[in-house]
Amino acid sequence: MVRNGIKDKVAIIGADMCKYGERFDKNQYELLVEACDGAFKDAGITKDDVDAAWLGVFYYFTGLSGSTLEDALRLEGKPVTRTENYCASGMDAFRNACFGVASGAYDVALACGVEKLMDEGGSGLPGFKIFGHPLYPLPSAPAMFCMAATRCFHEFGWTKEDLARVAVKNHDNGQYHPKAHFRRPITIDQAMKAPMIADPLGRFDCCAMSDGAAALIITRPDLAESYAHADDYILVKSNSISVYTMAPWYWPSYDFTHFPATEKAAEMAYKEAEITDPRKEIDLAEVHDCFTITELLNCQDLRFCDRGKAPEELKNGTFNWDGETAVNPSGGLKSFGHPIGSTGCRMITEVTKQLQGRAEGRQVPDAKIGLAHNLGGAFSICSTTILGQRD
Amino acid sequence: MIGIKAYGAYLPKYLLPRELISQAWDFPLVPGNKAIANVDEDTITMGVEAGLDCLAGIDPKSIDGLFFASTTQVYTEKVSASLIADVLDLRENIITADFTDSTKAGTTAVARAVEAIKANKDIKSVLIVAADTRNPEPSTMWEFGYADGAAALLIAEEDSLPISIEDYYSISANVTGPWKRNETDSFIRTFEPKMDAQFYIKSLTTVISEVMKRNNLEPAALGHVAYNYSNPRLHASIAKMMKFPQGVAQNGMFFQIGDLGTAMPFMLLISAIKRPKPDAKVILAGFGDGADAILMQIQDKKLVRDLGKDHIALGYQKKMTTLKNYNVFIENKKLLKKDRYTRKSSAVIVWREKDSIYQMYGNKCKKCGAIQYPRMMPSCFECRTIGEFEKIKLQLKGTVFTFTLDHLVGGNYYETPVPRCVIDLDGGGRILLDMTEIEKPEENVSIGMRVELTFRKMHEGGEFHNYYWKCRPERGRN
Repeated sequence: MVRNGIKDKVAIIGADMCKYGERFDKNQYELLVEACDGAFKDAGITKDDVDAAWLGVFYYFTGLSGSTLEDALRLEGKPVTRTENYCASGMDAFRNACFGVASGAYDVALACGVEKLMDEGGSGLPGFKIFGHPLYPLPSAPAMFCMAATRCFHEFGWTKEDLARVAVKNHDNGQYHPKAHFRRPITIDQAMKAPMIADPLGRFDCCAMSDGAAALIITRPDLAESYAHADDYILVKSNSISVYTMAPWYWPSYDFTHFPATEKAAEMAYKEAEITDPRKEIDLAEVHDCFTITELLNCQDLRFCDRGKAPEELKNGTFNWDGETAVNPSGGLKSFGHPIGSTGCRMITEVTKQLQGRAEGRQVPDAKIGLAHNLGGAFSICSTTILGQRD
Repeated sequence: MIGIKAYGAYLPKYLLPRELISQAWDFPLVPGNKAIANVDEDTITMGVEAGLDCLAGIDPKSIDGLFFASTTQVYTEKVSASLIADVLDLRENIITADFTDSTKAGTTAVARAVEAIKANKDIKSVLIVAADTRNPEPSTMWEFGYADGAAALLIAEEDSLPISIEDYYSISANVTGPWKRNETDSFIRTFEPKMDAQFYIKSLTTVISEVMKRNNLEPAALGHVAYNYSNPRLHASIAKMMKFPQGVAQNGMFFQIGDLGTAMPFMLLISAIKRPKPDAKVILAGFGDGADAILMQIQDKKLVRDLGKDHIALGYQKKMTTLKNYNVFIENKKLLKKDRYTRKSSAVIVWREKDSIYQMYGNKCKKCGAIQYPRMMPSCFECRTIGEFEKIKLQLKGTVFTFTLDHLVGGNYYETPVPRCVIDLDGGGRILLDMTEIEKPEENVSIGMRVELTFRKMHEGGEFHNYYWKCRPERGRN
């Protein structure tokens, strides 16, 4: 599927994110400015150096079309494309920006994402009344992933405590990230006793509703030397997206104990990045943990561990920030919430800082190769990005 | 001969003990229970259930007409019979009509069906579905009576039938009460109940006497008589005046399930012929601004008894749940002011996809044989072949493959948790359905659980009634 690919053809020269949280006093344009300004400063450029931009936005109330970015930055009519691909909307903005730069069409591109979830109120993802088929059931987002949890409990004997450990690990990591929404550790007991959202997932098994934005500046490696991060720009090793059905519950043979989109995206990404043993070769991974069950299954589908073994590996410390494969050293969606359009760019920003050794207070030791991963819809769409240090 | 070929019935899951009404309003104690529809049921959904029960083992494409009878039809302009016919998967070239506005609508429909069959050589069978869900005004005595349910009779012309229809006679009687105006009345009104009572007795005795007289029948010749029943004393006085022998006038169900309005005479008839008397004459009578009496003859006692095997009909009674709380009744009747969850909808999509949405057709891949649902996706889930499907009817029962209990319905917390169940249908096809009528879902929903599909009202998106299937724990429908 990957023909020529984009391995080592794109360099990240600037990255930043806004403070994540319930940003009631800021609108989407202000959050975009916060993130983009940070990224411009990081790269040592101004907005006038940007040739083209891609913007990830999921919800109609956050913004429609590229004008959402124009109304934040005033780019003098430069090209802006809005991308929407469920939870991978932000990472797909980055992916398309990479193609813009790798093709030689543009020298400097901006990839960013934003979402103002709290503008529609906080009890679960809004909009479910408005989209989708008028009659076929449209389960809430947690309910979709619960169908996998119920099946994994049945097939692998996993328990609520196995899920709780994911939440405990990620909140433990999140306390050290200054931009995280939640910065307090929790206990297994707290996680297990929280109110139910969709059986068997309780409140701490679900990521929160948050506002946020993140931005990345990219260019070609031969140009990267002339910007601020000449010595420590980050190279894109691969970038893949895999798209499956939005209605896996109609798929007669689907077993609900793995995510085909993650498996496929990982296969493409590893092939392009020439990674054969992901558990050993990948030092840290920002893995989509919209729900605790999602992280466990994704770790298996990304081949960090064997099928059915994720809870055991988690318990043994494999996925701790200082473990064999650090999973969500930032604190993940559990600590940042999931402002949908922004999350992919936020993850890539985090991996960039880690590989540059600039993740103060949460630095994964000796991080050379990192992975960012989004899974959206009803496990429908997976985007995976692998980054590495410059030679 | 023309007569009854099959029958079906539906009673909702819940029984409200009348003592809960007495307790709620400090009324004198009244014995018995009444059947109440769930919040996702109306006369369309209950009518579909009764129709499915009636047509068990009968090809729906062989039916030539559908008449719907109700005082609580869900549309004033739009034919309920057509909607029910669609869901039951009847042909397009059939006759349909709604008989409304009177609790005798069911018996009137039977008489008109007989005439249609006699008059038109293309019409050999008409399915009659009667359903009612009349809302009583809370804290009035009406609450003790009005109940919800549906029943169906298949009227057909065949060489041999279990029950034949011999004669019928009708009168019209204009009296103001009970009534309900479209724009202004939330509940049924009456001006002078004593006058209503007099008309009830006079109208029914008139038509029953006339049909007996012109067929030279003495009361002793009657095996079963079924007529509208809204009050035990009035019902009994008709039996007494007509000198029906003990056990002939059907009276048990009022105490057990209440007054089902239009469906009541059908339900009483079905209840009676579960134990048919050999060669007996049967009278089915309906009342409401006039009356109809239909004289029938049991042709073959064994055939009549066999009908009960195919149709669960009143077998539903065994699977009913007695409520412990009056508030459930108020909630189910939507008498509480409450914001309700509505999705968007499109009458265009509902029409275009009716074979999936209403009739539960799926696709079978011609390449790999995989059976799948819904039909809107044109490529095979399994072998990815584009557009090589044959249309296939799916079964209305299956087994839970996985599920969740969703506390977030459309981003709002109410009427929760909703069990969302992935179901492997018997004979193939996988579907996602909400589960209804499950008590304590935390304990009672499990992988491997057996369920059957039930047609329910989903929401009011697009300002029209949106119906689709849910699943429920098995109640034993064939």
